[in-house]
This record gives sequence, structure tokens and C-alpha cells, in this order.
Amino acid sequence: MAKTSTLRRQLIIWLAVPLAVLWSISTTVDYDIANQFVTSAYDRSLLDSAIDIGKQIKVIDGRIQADLPEVVLEMLITGEPGKFYYQITGPKGEYIAGHRDLPLPPEPDADKVSYYDAQYLGNHIRIAALYLPLEGDRNKGSVLIQAGETVTVRTDYARQIMLRMMLPQMVLILLAALAVWYAVGRGLAPLTALQREIASRSYRDLSALPEEQTPKEVQPLIHAMNELLERLSASLAAQQRFIADAAHQLRTPLAGIKTQTELALRQAQSADAQSTLRQLHTATEQTTRLINQLLSLARAEPGAERARTTERLDLARLARDTTTEWVPRALARDIDLGFDSPLAGAGVEGDSFLLKEMLNNLLDNAIRYTQPGGQVTVRVTPDTTSIVLSVEDNGPGIPVGERERAFERFHRVLGTGVEGCGLGLAIVREIAQSHGGDAALTTGTNGAGTLVRITLPMRA
Amino acid sequence: MRILIVEDEPVLADGLTRSLRHADYAVDCLSEGGEADHVLTSQKYDLVILDLGLPKLDGFEVLRRLRHRGSRVPVLVLTARDTLDDRVKGLDLGADDYLTKPFELAELEARVRALIRRGHSGGGSVLSHGALSLDTAGRRAMLNGEPLDLSARELGVLEVLMLRSGRVVNKEQLAEQLYGWDEEVGANAIEVYVHRLRRKLEPAGVTIRTIRGLGYLLEKSPHG
Repeated sequence: MAKTSTLRRQLIIWLAVPLAVLWSISTTVDYDIANQFVTSAYDRSLLDSAIDIGKQIKVIDGRIQADLPEVVLEMLITGEPGKFYYQITGPKGEYIAGHRDLPLPPEPDADKVSYYDAQYLGNHIRIAALYLPLEGDRNKGSVLIQAGETVTVRTDYARQIMLRMMLPQMVLILLAALAVWYAVGRGLAPLTALQREIASRSYRDLSALPEEQTPKEVQPLIHAMNELLERLSASLAAQQRFIADAAHQLRTPLAGIKTQTELALRQAQSADAQSTLRQLHTATEQTTRLINQLLSLARAEPGAERARTTERLDLARLARDTTTEWVPRALARDIDLGFDSPLAGAGVEGDSFLLKEMLNNLLDNAIRYTQPGGQVTVRVTPDTTSIVLSVEDNGPGIPVGERERAFERFHRVLGTGVEGCGLGLAIVREIAQSHGGDAALTTGTNGAGTLVRITLPMRA
Repeated sequence: MRILIVEDEPVLADGLTRSLRHADYAVDCLSEGGEADHVLTSQKYDLVILDLGLPKLDGFEVLRRLRHRGSRVPVLVLTARDTLDDRVKGLDLGADDYLTKPFELAELEARVRALIRRGHSGGGSVLSHGALSLDTAGRRAMLNGEPLDLSARELGVLEVLMLRSGRVVNKEQLAEQLYGWDEEVGANAIEVYVHRLRRKLEPAGVTIRTIRGLGYLLEKSPHG
């Protein structure tokens, strides 16, 4: 798989590669320049040596003589680690002094000093050649003076100059790359902040992202994302409106069926008809419950914020009132339903319909699944920063392995022998989460039964 | 007793009409808001059962016009919507009670009885619960036809329990009822009154149940 390129890497590559190419070109140029300076400086000193040698040439009795003691020669090569060579050649090309067979200038010119490279005794050397008129008189012929040295010194020197120029340039390139790295990081900081904002978002939050604090170049992207979020939440809302409308539409015919069934139940004479009608009645009850739950889900789901009415309310009071409504049904099943709260008021922010529906589902489950003679208790207690609403029963309980799955939609705990559609706990969790809280299932306080614990953020 | 039902769903309207006729009410049934509005201007009813989601002229408007004309006929609103907004709007417009579809027929009948009684009684009426009866105007209770010896506060507690028979009454509601006679009625005092009432009612098989943390409930008698 191809490595995903980052902006930072791209910028650095686009900066560093051309800079490196330029740097290598500049290195070649630098070396040439350094070489020229070094060559001309060293050539100059070679010429000086040749001139110095020339000063020692004398014509005695028509014979050309060069008096070059070791001391003088040593002086000529002082401080030079390279080897020094010289040769003096007479007007007729005869050898006079110095190193024999030092290569002659390629284009001899009596009027000019010539410098040239040559091979001598296996060494690459540089030679300065100079024609000196004998006794200052050109007509008496000229003596050729050659002074040469190995080039190692000058190449070393040129190399050093070049290195000293290269290093700061390299540092400069590295600093530029670093600056880019840092600048990109700084420039991308708003994007990183945005990324954190999106990552930390709840899946329910479809509100627009902040556009102002981002660089202008990124704003169109965020704008497009916001438009997508807007369309998404609009389509979610439309879908939820449809479910809510459908549920509402179903309620009226269902009320008709239910009323007619109850009426028929009163009038039916035969046990057969009674039994049929009772089943019809049960089916109607279940359909009613399913419709109510679909409605709750449609309202609790992400994107349904518009359909919700949020207010500050007293959860203890809401829980007490709701529990009170369930007392007749609990008594009919011979279940001892109770309420307990040490709080005078438990402030939470939420939709009273949804919170009530959440508790309705919990109570419906508890009363449905607990055996006659059992106990169901609703509690509202404070925690450090939250309010805990719990419903506990001493019924059969839910096996540990099944607990998390019990919150899934249309999941039914097997072997209970009780009719249900499996939406209850899914709705409970959805509502709790849509209020910034959560729902959890545990075992009851005496090691038996079920305890559902809802935590909701406390509002003072 | 004459009841007007305004409901556009024929199956439900038929069920309601028949069940109320069985209970010996005279029932008229309409399916349109405009028609209902027209009939209500000329006819006198003891109760109106009004669906909110009516075609053309909706229930809210029928109710608004009815109250605008100064009519005080009790109105029981039926609706498929259950949001707080709808409920508040209905009650603000002058509905006396509210039922969300679908509902229990028995529940509807109980509310109909309560609304008609409220509409007719000028404050006093006789409440009955099995062998027990209570004359709210005469302030006395009878058990199996024999007068019951109850203090004023005990009678007050019993009245609230009987008014809401089969439903839970919490201590605050009981305290509110007794506030007129006593400056301060604590939760303990209520427990004492309930305890005394229980002792006097138990021989006749009338039970006041304690509902943990919620209050008391006069258990439904088998005789209705």
C-alpha cells in the first residue's frame, strides 16, 4: 500500500530536493572558483620561484652557470609539503641545471610566462616556464627556467575552501527544512484542532463545525463538510418525522380495534370467543407498545434534536409520578412496587416525554419479568456530578454474558416466556445517551434480580 | 345524560358509541369538526368527547370556539399525539381531561363518569366504594348502611382516597387536603390518621394499601 503523503512531507520534499540539486550545482561552481583562485595564487608563487632561480644565473666566460645552493632551494620550497622541481635549459636547448627532462612547455613562447600541467616521475605536476634573456640582451639568446611542483597541495587547498563554503550552505538547507517543518505544523494547527474537535464529537452531534478560526484555504472544505452535516441531519430528521408520523397515524385505527375488542370481550358468551378476543386484545396491547417505542426511538435518535423539547426538570419528581402511574399494573400482578429517593429535587436537563418513556420501559420490563410476589424499586440518588436513576427487581435476572446484548435492538433474553419486542433496553440506552448519560445492567443488591442504572448529568 | 362524540375514525367512533350506550348514555356521533361546531351551538350536551385530529376544522379549533361562546360543557380530548405541547395546548384551550390513543375502554368510561359528575355536582356528592359510602356535602361516612364514627381529619383522608380509588394518593396530597383544619400536618400525623382509618374499615374488608415511598391506595372493591 502506498504511503499516504502528508502536506508536511510534500512541502519538505519539494523544498529539499531542488535545494539539494542547487546545492550540488553550486558545489561544482564553488570548486571551480576556489580552484581558479588557488591556481592563480600558487602559479604566482611558482613564477616567483622561477624568477628567483633566474637571478642566480650568471654567464662566466661565455658559459652559463647557475649557482643554486641547497639552502636557496630549500628556501624556495619552504612550507610546501609537495615536491619542488626545476630545470634550467640553455638557448640551444642544452641542459644546464636542475631536474633533467622536466616536460617542456607545449607552446614555447619567449615573450610570455606559460603555466601548464604535466606528468613527471609518476606525479601530476604544475609547471611555470619563463624565458630569460641572457645578460638582459635578447640577442644573446634566452635561458628557459622551469619551476614545478606537485598539485596535491593546491587541490587540497581548493578542496578545503570548497568544504568551508559547502558546510554553511548545508546548514542553511537543513535550517530551511526545519523552518518548513515548524511552519507547516503551525499552519496546520487549526486543522489539528479541528480534527480533535471532530474526533471528540459524539455521533449524535451533527452541528456545524467552526469556520472562523481556520485558515482561508481550509474554509471551503469545512464549509462543504458543514453543508454535508446539514443535509445529513435534515435527512435524518425527515426519516424520524416519517417514523413519528407513521406511529401517530397507526394509533387511531389501533384505538378502534382495541375499543371494539374490549367491547366484544364484555359481550362474548362462549369461552372460545372470549379466548380469541383476549388474544386479539393482547396483540393490540403489544402493537401499541411497539408503536410507542418506535416513537421514542425516533425522538431519542441522533438528529432528532429538533423534535425534542429540552427543559430543566426534577428527575425525582418525574420518577415518582411515573412510578405512581404503574402502581395499579404492579398490584394486578401482585408485585410490590416502591419508590425511594433522599433528594428533595434532582435537577437534570432533558425532554420530559423521553425521560418518562425511558422509565416506562424500565418499569414495564421489571413488572413483566418479575414473578408475582416479587419486588420492584425505583430510586433516584445523587452521585458526585450526576444523578442516578435505578430500577431494581428481584426477578430472575439477566445472565452476565447476555447483559450487553440486552441493550441491542430487537434482542430478547431467551427462556423468559414473556412476550416483548426487545426494544425496551435499546430505547433506554438511546434516551440516556441522548441526555449525555448512560445505562448499565447489574445484579440486584442481594445478589439476585436485575438492577438497571441510569446516570444523567446533574444540573444545579 | 347526553354525550357528543366527535371522532372521524369509524371503527373507534362505533366502539365508543356502543360502549357508552350500554352504560345508558344518550350518544350522538359526528365525524367532522365543522359539523360538530355547528351542532354544539344549538344542542346541549353533558359531555363532549373530542378527537383533535379531525379533517377540515380540527379539534383545537372546535374547542376554542366552544369556550369562546362561553360554554362550560366538560370536554374530554382524544389524541394520537402525546407530546407535552399538544397536551398543554389542549388544556389551555379549556379541555377538562385528556386521553392518548389507544386507551383502555374502562379508563375512558371512568373519566366520562368523573367528568359528568363534576359537571353536575355543585360541590357535594355521594362517593361510594363497595360497602362504603361518603357524603361529601353532609360530611359523613356510612359502612353497610351504618354511620361510621370518623373524625373530621379521618374523613378528609378517606374522601381523598375514595375520590381517587384504585390510584395512588401521596402524603403531600393528603396533607394539602387537611391543611384547612390544621396549620401543620406532618407525614407522621398522616400515618396516624391512615392507621386509625384502617382499623375502622378493616372489619368491612376495605383495604388501604401502603405503596412504598409513594403513598396510599384504596384498593378497588370487587363491586366496582
